[in-house]
Amino acid sequence: MAQEFNYRVPWLPGPQGGGSGTGWVVGEHRLMTNAHVVSNARLLTVEKENDPKKYVATIEFIAHDCDLAVLKVADPQFWKDTKVLPLGEVPEIESSVAVFGYPIGGDRLSVTHGVVSRIDFRTYSHSVMDSHLCIQIDAAINPGNSGGPVLQDGKVVGVAFQGFSGDVAQNVGYMIPMPVVKHMLKDVSDGSYDRYMDLSIGTFSLQNPAHRRALGLPDDDKGVVVTTVSSASVCAEKLKVGDVLLKIDGVDIESDGMVQLNGERVMMAEVAERKYKGDQVKFDLLRDGKPQQETITFNRAWPYTQQANSYEPPRYIVFGGLLFQPLNRNLMATYQFASPRILYTFTRFVEDELYKDRDEAIILTALLPDPLNSYLDEFREGIVKTVDGKQVRNLKELSAALAEQKDDYVLEFEGVGRPLVLHRADVEAARERIRKRYNVLREEYLGEDAPAATASTTK
Amino acid sequence: MKFLSIISRVFCAVVAFCAFTASVLAEDKLPIVRVNVTTQSWDFIRPWGKRQPVTRRAIGAVLPGPRILVAGELVANSTYLEFEAADGGRKVPATVDVVDYEANLALLKTDDPDFLKGLPQLDLTESAIGDQLNIWQLENNGRLLVTNGPMTTAEMSPYPIDGQFLIYRMTTQIQGRDSSFTLPVARGGKLTGILMSYDNQSNNANIIPAPVIQHFLKDAADGQYDGFPRAGYGFSATRDPALRRYAKIPADATGGIYITEVMKGGPAEAAGLQKADILLAADQFAVDQDGNFADPTYGKISLGHYLSTRHLVGDIVKFRLLRGGEEKTIDVKLARKDPSTYVSDPYIIDKAPRFYIVGGLLLQELSREWLRSFGNDWVRRGPANAVYADRFQLELFPNGPKKLVYMTHVLPTDATVGYEELNNLRVVKINGVELQSLDDVPKALEKPVNGFHKIEFDDDPRTIFLDAKEVEQTNRAVKMQYRLPAIMHLE
Repeated sequence: MAQEFNYRVPWLPGPQGGGSGTGWVVGEHRLMTNAHVVSNARLLTVEKENDPKKYVATIEFIAHDCDLAVLKVADPQFWKDTKVLPLGEVPEIESSVAVFGYPIGGDRLSVTHGVVSRIDFRTYSHSVMDSHLCIQIDAAINPGNSGGPVLQDGKVVGVAFQGFSGDVAQNVGYMIPMPVVKHMLKDVSDGSYDRYMDLSIGTFSLQNPAHRRALGLPDDDKGVVVTTVSSASVCAEKLKVGDVLLKIDGVDIESDGMVQLNGERVMMAEVAERKYKGDQVKFDLLRDGKPQQETITFNRAWPYTQQANSYEPPRYIVFGGLLFQPLNRNLMATYQFASPRILYTFTRFVEDELYKDRDEAIILTALLPDPLNSYLDEFREGIVKTVDGKQVRNLKELSAALAEQKDDYVLEFEGVGRPLVLHRADVEAARERIRKRYNVLREEYLGEDAPAATASTTK
Repeated sequence: MKFLSIISRVFCAVVAFCAFTASVLAEDKLPIVRVNVTTQSWDFIRPWGKRQPVTRRAIGAVLPGPRILVAGELVANSTYLEFEAADGGRKVPATVDVVDYEANLALLKTDDPDFLKGLPQLDLTESAIGDQLNIWQLENNGRLLVTNGPMTTAEMSPYPIDGQFLIYRMTTQIQGRDSSFTLPVARGGKLTGILMSYDNQSNNANIIPAPVIQHFLKDAADGQYDGFPRAGYGFSATRDPALRRYAKIPADATGGIYITEVMKGGPAEAAGLQKADILLAADQFAVDQDGNFADPTYGKISLGHYLSTRHLVGDIVKFRLLRGGEEKTIDVKLARKDPSTYVSDPYIIDKAPRFYIVGGLLLQELSREWLRSFGNDWVRRGPANAVYADRFQLELFPNGPKKLVYMTHVLPTDATVGYEELNNLRVVKINGVELQSLDDVPKALEKPVNGFHKIEFDDDPRTIFLDAKEVEQTNRAVKMQYRLPAIMHLE
């Protein structure tokens, strides 16, 4: 049983729904399936063939950035006569594989066969923001197949996870390949999931002959130039814009940004993909024409994930009937904002380093009509800038600012020339009224964890 | 009794109509001509070319001069204009005498002295809500076709190309006769407006009203057209009691607007208006909480009408303000901001787009006209960084540059291998020279760095290079390969 969140009425538990997928035994008393199968789950049950019982399962680890989850089942009865599936490698192009699962529900196993059609980097649609290695097969993958094992010679070579709706492409299914599965399993072996590491730099290919000559490079099709180093990146202060990257961990970087890895030509990012928190990567580079080496330590995952689908309960504050919510992909999808300022802030948050001013943009998304706020409609879809002259970096800071005891709260919004003034006595007088009238079950939810680390406080 | 009264009202209307038709027909000739316009707009995506020509027909009003008045939009990017006599047959070439694309009005003339001779000339008259207005069209045989209806609304409304001005609105069904709804609107045999747009779903007809026409004609009369002035400020309503208290507006005051923005270099700034001032009155007119004043003819209407339409450029308007609770008076000398002085031009009409091709890279200046070529939904479909720069230009570029230079796309040649997919990038510098506009490009290209042109963007890939020796040859190749008439246009 799953429960979706409602970003318009964030204090409400959302509508309930159900779904099913496929799981397989990945280790001692552990099942693996897709993150999207178990996201937002309130009650999770697993069934075995030839066993009438439904067993309660719990999520041990969930990795939204690579759409994988590890489940535990406490009842030892469930594990009787189960067998751990051995893990294989990346299958050859054109080799055949078998997809096991329960497409479109049903309690009898379905097996389809297909051929490995293509191996490349692709966006994982569960998070939308992340791309990893992905294998395309020509066996259909339907809802219910998700999380199921794809086998070759008795070993798991992939986890079925996404396809296309019939009107876009047919006989195209995608599976998560073993490097990604093993990466996830190794990451959680220390008891927590650290997410994928990322260089968070921009590079540009060096294919243009004049460009190469201008940088004093030989005509050998090697090297890419660094075009962006996010100040929140692990590479900040290590790499500089204009550096020509020649080798990564000793492997040549070709002029289109590809590297040869285990006999395959893959994007340079794939090298970082295979790292874990605490690992290092070494670059051979030219800075101002001089050879140099830089070693980068992956000490944290990229902190700003607003552009990924969120599977956390929505965070919000209701104050004086004003609903404040941090901007993320889910909020964009719910409200379909037309404000150019919001569109810009959402799409360029990372590129233009808007995170230097704030960890997240807080939007006044709605007003619960009350005499207190009847003249404040012009602030709808505004981005909060300051409270009483103090910059607000995230929802927690806003909550703290609004908890201060003072006569007037003066909020400034981006691009709005007048302040929003709320008299505390009025807010307090209206509080119960608004809460009752609109059935606001809880006036704020700030999240269980600390807000995203800020660029300035993390070393 | 009731029955009778209905009869008599219908009768009256018929009488009125007959009387009017008779008065026009009595002169034998009508104070209108057909105006045939061929327009051809520039293609801002391929700035060396024009789109296909379009011909439209409209009806122009004969004014003293004699001049013909039509909506400005009609003659935008015109290539050929022609008057055609209402009673058929005769056509003469015409030209634009004065045009204001913001106020959406144009005065046309012809060099043929005989063509307009003998035609009656229309006087202007303002109308009020409830007045019966007559929209004039022509039958194919030259007879006048009149559509009557009451004026329902007078309000400030966005004009099609730029700006906000007064409109008259009536709701009535209009026959689609010619390929345009630029038609004279009359009352009692006098001109009261020019139909600007008509929606055949809602049957709403928006009319450029007499006061806007009056301003336009008065301004044009001295041979130097100055346009509609503005004071140059933004405001918020002050209905919110919390805001009124915060802004220290006395409890007994009823009106006033909160100044949210004072345009840099504008008249209000020059007069000393400041953000957070409360504007209480302009001359003898009090400003209410929503920014309206009581117009003697139209009642409550936005103060913008008083400043832009009731005044000419150079007029002085007294603003009465509250600043920090103290009253203050300032003199604002009204002026117009020319569209070309914006960082991103709000419109470019009758002018070929500027561009410069260097080694296959197409450089253009950011303009709303260019963004509009991404379609009606350009706010979402246009490049996010360019849309943002256009939309928030006053906030982002208070101190220049004059224009933003964009590399809009690459015309691929051998020399641009590896650059083909770059597009819509803002060029900040060429060879270290910061660009104030496209005009700086040729000069910057005179000084290559170590034999290469260094082109710097404000976004990935930041810097690219062209071999300075190859550029000329590449330009020639581009010109041939893509059959371009020229590789630059900087006028």
